[in-house]
Amino acid sequence: EDALLPAPQNISILSINMKHFLTWSPVIVEGETVRYSVEFQGEYEREYANESWIPICECSLITATVCNITEDISATVAYNLRVRADVGASRSEWGTLKGFFNRITTSLTPPLMKVIADGYHLLVELEDMGPAFQFCVLYWKKGQESRMQQKVVKEVSSVVHLDTMEAGPDYCVKAQTYVETINRSSSFSQTQCVRAQGGRSMWL
Amino acid sequence: SGELYCSLPNPRNVHFESINMKNVLHWSAPEGTGDGVLYKVKYSVYGVGKWIRKPECRNINRTWCDLSRETSDYEEQYYATVKAFLNGMCSDWMETTRFNPLTDTKIDPPMISVSSTEKSISIILTAPEKWNRSPEGEPISLLQVYPGLQYNVSVLNKKTKKRWFFSVSNNTLVVPWLEPGTAYCVSAQIYVTTPLLHSGFSKEYCIDTLKDKTA
Amino acid sequence: TAGNKIFHFGPCRISMSMTEIRSGFTAIKANIQARDPIRTLSILSHPHSLHKVKSSDRCCITYHLFNFYVDKVFKHCKTEDSYVNRKISSIANSFLSVKRRLGQCHEQNKCVCGQESAEKFKQILANYEGLNVISAAIKSLGELDILLDWME
Repeated sequence: EDALLPAPQNISILSINMKHFLTWSPVIVEGETVRYSVEFQGEYEREYANESWIPICECSLITATVCNITEDISATVAYNLRVRADVGASRSEWGTLKGFFNRITTSLTPPLMKVIADGYHLLVELEDMGPAFQFCVLYWKKGQESRMQQKVVKEVSSVVHLDTMEAGPDYCVKAQTYVETINRSSSFSQTQCVRAQGGRSMWL
Repeated sequence: SGELYCSLPNPRNVHFESINMKNVLHWSAPEGTGDGVLYKVKYSVYGVGKWIRKPECRNINRTWCDLSRETSDYEEQYYATVKAFLNGMCSDWMETTRFNPLTDTKIDPPMISVSSTEKSISIILTAPEKWNRSPEGEPISLLQVYPGLQYNVSVLNKKTKKRWFFSVSNNTLVVPWLEPGTAYCVSAQIYVTTPLLHSGFSKEYCIDTLKDKTA
Repeated sequence: TAGNKIFHFGPCRISMSMTEIRSGFTAIKANIQARDPIRTLSILSHPHSLHKVKSSDRCCITYHLFNFYVDKVFKHCKTEDSYVNRKISSIANSFLSVKRRLGQCHEQNKCVCGQESAEKFKQILANYEGLNVISAAIKSLGELDILLDWME
């Protein structure tokens, strides 16, 4: 195999809400289909396993220029990643991500949330963001921000009961995600307020 | 006695089926053998040198053997093995994979009792008991085996068809401020985060809140 | 959920994503244990069970065991199965970050080692060195749930 083929460039990570993707610019060879292969190396491999690299078989000889590496980035340590290109018998050198990637840097977005008043009951519907996520839900009587209450929701199963409401005042709710494995939280979602109305739900 | 001539096909799919740590060995009859096949069972504690016979499962024609007593220490792990006999012939010993009672058992849903007032329902949840060596002895709740055990409780308003979920660590839940004279159906599930174990949801228990006396 | 657990070993507090490690192990448990034909020996649980270790020695034993797995075990568990290798890498990297935190506790004398833990760990090493290195490493990896069950 001669290495005339250029190594993939612009290798970068896109990591949002603990979903991690490796992306790179395509290697252009007129009239040819270029295929790519990805490998990763954790801190353990660097320090205890002779700097060995581990192939990701779902991203072996693929034509796409993106690889979902979430399954393999499953520890809070620094990872190295690399990509190479293949066309027929030609194979490029490895293109390596500049710097390490640690999942602690993932960007966390506020959760999608829907607040429901069902009679005198205050409920919240949260999107299921995967097993790594918990939700910290804050709720309070409008105007009594100092008496905010908190509920940690670990198992997201559609409509979660928060509390009962008195008839009359508005109740406001906001939520943030929390990822235990990296000990980080998202910013809070928009606040939503509802009011109990004798058994009929009422949006404000 | 010398080994019999062991060319009988082997028992198949030898495995433990465990519910609430009642650990029963199951297998399928050797292929192509009709009636009359008899079996022997042995078990061993992983890391300890010897196979131990199970007398109650010697020369049996059924294809299961209750090893709950022998595998009740869930700090140990186990293997079991089965041999088939027919017309003077025998099979090889066929083994299970390594069995870990703590992580390989299935958990039944919790038991639920529900009572109601005019505007509330009270739910008491009871985790199933671990299989007990001596039925007269003190029962052990799975709560003691899995300290991190929690409950997911679902409450369905039959009139509005709306379902709410509650996550509960202790075993009681009171849902206040409900509508009088309305049917509510409750079901619950056990979940343990590590080791990761989930029961199914229990069947639904429905109850009516009392009618509003002032109405 | 991710089932991060805070382990309190006296003054030493260690956060560990148990669920991630357990799910990694569960994914390869049958494969790895099937490669260990020796039923009559255990690295971790016989002749002395981890469950007999005094609570005062738990931190030190845990510290030694995480070093044992990172330094000695994982590197000898490479298989021909790429999926298994990736899961082993995931567990190994998780163990590495816990080993570091335990190391900090040990350096700050929050993870005191008594006579019993030294004896227990010596026994574990003797069990390990009684087998050839690959068999010993695969057996140790197959016993990871014994360690995790004991820790919890």
